[in-house]
Amino acid sequence: MADSREPPPLFDDDDSRKDDENDDLFTSAVQSPVSEGGSLTPTVEEDVEKPGEQTDPLSDSPPEAAAHSTIQAQPSDSTSSPLFSQSPSLPRADTPPMTSEPVDLFESCSLGGNDSEDVTPTAVGPMTAGQEQEVSLDDNDDTGIFQSTAAPKLQLNQDSFESPVPPASSVLPPMGAPLSPPVVAVVNPSIASSHATASIMPTPVEPTLTTRTQSTTEQNDNEKKDEFIEITVTDPQKIGDGMGAYMAYKVTTKTNISYFRKQHWSVMRRFSDFLGLHSKLVEKHLHSGRIVPPAPQKSAIGTTKIKLGSDKSAESSIEFIEKRRAALERYMNRTAAHPTLRGDPDFREFVELDAELPRATQTSALSSAGVLRLFNRVGETVNKMTFKMDESDQWFEEKTQQIESLDNQLHKLHASLEGLVNYRRELAISTAIFAKSVAVLSSVEEHSALSRALHQLSEAEERIHTIHNAQADADYFHMAETTKDYIALIAAVKDVFHERVKAFQMWQHSQQMLAKKREAKAKAELVAKPDKIQQAQAEVTEWETKVERSQEEFERISKAIKKEIDQFEIIRVKDFKETLVKYLEALMTSQQQIIKVWETFIPEAKAIV
Amino acid sequence: MMDVMEEVLHAETNGTKGGRSDTVDLNDSSLQVDISDALSEREKVKFTVHTKTTLAEYTKPEFSVVRQHEEFIWLHDRFDENEDYAGFIIPPPPPRPDFDASREKLQKLGEGEGSMTKEEFNKMKQELEAEYLATFKKTVAMHEVFLTRLAQHPIFRNDHNFKVFLEYEQDLSVRSKNKKEKVEGLIKNFNKTTDELLLSATQKDVDEYFEKEKGFLLEYHMAIKDSTAKADRMTRCHKNVADSYIKLSSGLSQLGAIEGPRFEKFVNKVSEAFEKGRKVEGRVASDEDLKLSDSLRYYMRDTSAAKDLLYRRLRCLANYEQANKNLDRARAKNKDVHAGCFVQMAELAQQNACEKFEQMSEKAKEELTDFKMRRVAAFKKNLVELAELELKHAKAQVQLQKNCLQSLEEEC
Repeated sequence: MADSREPPPLFDDDDSRKDDENDDLFTSAVQSPVSEGGSLTPTVEEDVEKPGEQTDPLSDSPPEAAAHSTIQAQPSDSTSSPLFSQSPSLPRADTPPMTSEPVDLFESCSLGGNDSEDVTPTAVGPMTAGQEQEVSLDDNDDTGIFQSTAAPKLQLNQDSFESPVPPASSVLPPMGAPLSPPVVAVVNPSIASSHATASIMPTPVEPTLTTRTQSTTEQNDNEKKDEFIEITVTDPQKIGDGMGAYMAYKVTTKTNISYFRKQHWSVMRRFSDFLGLHSKLVEKHLHSGRIVPPAPQKSAIGTTKIKLGSDKSAESSIEFIEKRRAALERYMNRTAAHPTLRGDPDFREFVELDAELPRATQTSALSSAGVLRLFNRVGETVNKMTFKMDESDQWFEEKTQQIESLDNQLHKLHASLEGLVNYRRELAISTAIFAKSVAVLSSVEEHSALSRALHQLSEAEERIHTIHNAQADADYFHMAETTKDYIALIAAVKDVFHERVKAFQMWQHSQQMLAKKREAKAKAELVAKPDKIQQAQAEVTEWETKVERSQEEFERISKAIKKEIDQFEIIRVKDFKETLVKYLEALMTSQQQIIKVWETFIPEAKAIV
Repeated sequence: MMDVMEEVLHAETNGTKGGRSDTVDLNDSSLQVDISDALSEREKVKFTVHTKTTLAEYTKPEFSVVRQHEEFIWLHDRFDENEDYAGFIIPPPPPRPDFDASREKLQKLGEGEGSMTKEEFNKMKQELEAEYLATFKKTVAMHEVFLTRLAQHPIFRNDHNFKVFLEYEQDLSVRSKNKKEKVEGLIKNFNKTTDELLLSATQKDVDEYFEKEKGFLLEYHMAIKDSTAKADRMTRCHKNVADSYIKLSSGLSQLGAIEGPRFEKFVNKVSEAFEKGRKVEGRVASDEDLKLSDSLRYYMRDTSAAKDLLYRRLRCLANYEQANKNLDRARAKNKDVHAGCFVQMAELAQQNACEKFEQMSEKAKEELTDFKMRRVAAFKKNLVELAELELKHAKAQVQLQKNCLQSLEEEC
């Protein structure tokens, strides 16, 4: 069904299109399979725009082009430009627009053979994604990607125009088929570094469904181009006493997004509120294939410490609170970075509502909802282990494997990081003890100059101890926590993959039912009982629709997942790089401090007569 | 591995010979002793003691013999027991070569071989070898310092046992103490300690100086022992940190392999930086060990030897006073001529004791002043070197990290 559809035929090369024009395009676009110049599906619109961009000189348009792609949100130009500058010859990873433009487009934007493949899939993508508001890859990062993609396109434009056509055409037909292979091929390793995720898989889903959403999505995308939202979690306060005590955090939001009432405000929230938000988001979005960032975990020990501890209690509970606060902040920012999730009304309410939120009792472990959830989880785990999906999509197969090995590797890395943190803390402690011991020695020493020098040594070691402690903290907060976050995120990714498997299962199931109903109908026909035949016919029709729908659902979720994963990968890589850089810088700073300490000590040591 | 160690050590010893004997004044070159080579076999370490001398007593001007650790201990015991040397600080004997830690690690490495990647295994093996080498160097250094101190001491160098030790080409057939002797040794030690305690409680020292010194040495000994232990712990922690860098580095490079080209180069660069960083950290740890812990440890032992000196002196004083008492008693008892010989004997005894005591006091004073000077000089040298090395390493680390950051920026 969906397979037979081809991306809407192209639009006219309209160079002057800007992002805003997307809206028009989208609204008018409909997925009309294969009509050259006919109604364009939203995707096509994007494509249209893109080609437009492409014809523009590379330098100015890339950001726009990128922005236009329906899929991505707009990141600031600044983000895109670096991408561009870096890799003018980026393979087009996700040029949805490109794809949708049928031949014309190809002529105008000299796409390399590779690109054309990409183009097609991407064109379809937005369409299918349309159901919900998604296009979500509104992240800034997305824009980046798109921009990179845009870049190549532009480049292509300037290149020869011949090649595009054949590839384009070759791409169009296989729209229905999982376009993973072509897309994969497209991605140039050379450009790989930041654009790995560029390959947007086309989704051969019926365009029709997405039309409406497309337009809105486009609009949203456009709006979000310059959006910015930043959330900080501060001020942990203990509220209440005894067993009813809990920690409340101040959630401060700074944003310029239009659908929020203010630009800068704060609310107080407690930990269970965060968990409640997460479970609501999961309920709503997981089955559409979105990766919902996981919330920090509950910790019985920590909570008890808070409940029972006194006000300015022990270091360990302070540490725990700090860890939790940092984790909550990261969680909020990750969720806010996801364009669809941040538009979710529950999220908005969480961030905006001035009053206390209704207690999310479902998050507590012992509530009925909690027990229900536990059962569900057990059931799902069994399901995961027993059902072996017949994976037709190679992209998914590869990704699943990659995710698995990534998971393992991250676990190992996390373990070695924890080891490092522990050792360093031990080092800090033993240095402090040593410093004290040297101080004693210096007081016993009768030779005055030596005594003085030993005293200085003791002080130097004391300072080094502080430096080591600080370094251990950096080790921990930068590296270990980030790695842990990513392990949790990968678990969320696996959940999303599993949703897809469930959708596939449902599809299979409905196909089986359909077959049964058909048999029943055939039997009824044999017996020639008219009412039975009618009934059987009704059932057959019913199941036929169900099959169609579940297949759509499956394909839709597959497409959404692909997009999500691509975006996720980009963010992940970027995040990790940043973390590593920050960590190295922290290491460097501590070493520089150590240098200062020893430099002050040397003249003292030399002064011993 | 052992043989390789030995060869490397040989090269190293030749290069660093001068550095080792930093607690001894090497001005006098009429008798020069050093350890030119060392071979580690299973449980034993064989040192090649090489002597160069211009003294007439020795048959050849230059010669070498092979000695084992037990023979060093034997030599030390000979000095210790010798009453003539009671007034001197006997240089503390070198500690037994201890490769247990390395051996344990080697075993663990062998067991864990299956669970680590090849690179990780190689890296750990390398680092283990480096550690082994460091321990080896240290033990050779200790033995050498012991010998050099003996050689430089104006009295000790002429000792007959010392000569035998240096010259006798064959095995000294010194077997280490068997059980009985060990138990004897333990009992002797125990007696000595109780005696010491008793004396310090009952015996008053006539000389203010020595009284003060005793107090100082006791306190100092305790403090320095404590510091040595803490310094050791600190060094060990440092090594652990350096070692954990290996795991981090290999974890990162594996991550890079999974991630694929876009991230791999970046991650590999970081991983390399950690690898190099580990080496530097490792060196920081071992330098700390060498300069700080070892000098603390050495002076702890030396202080212990000084304490022993004082103890001996005190014992001598006690004997002297005892002899005085005996004399008085003898005199009191034997007023008539017939008992004159008793008195004479007592007198003689007393005189001996007196002489002995006074000689000892003099020598002891000298030794103690010398000890102080040596200690201050050695500490100064070591502290300065420690600080300079730490500085050098910290700068190297900063450079390393700067380079890495720069290349990462280019990468992005």
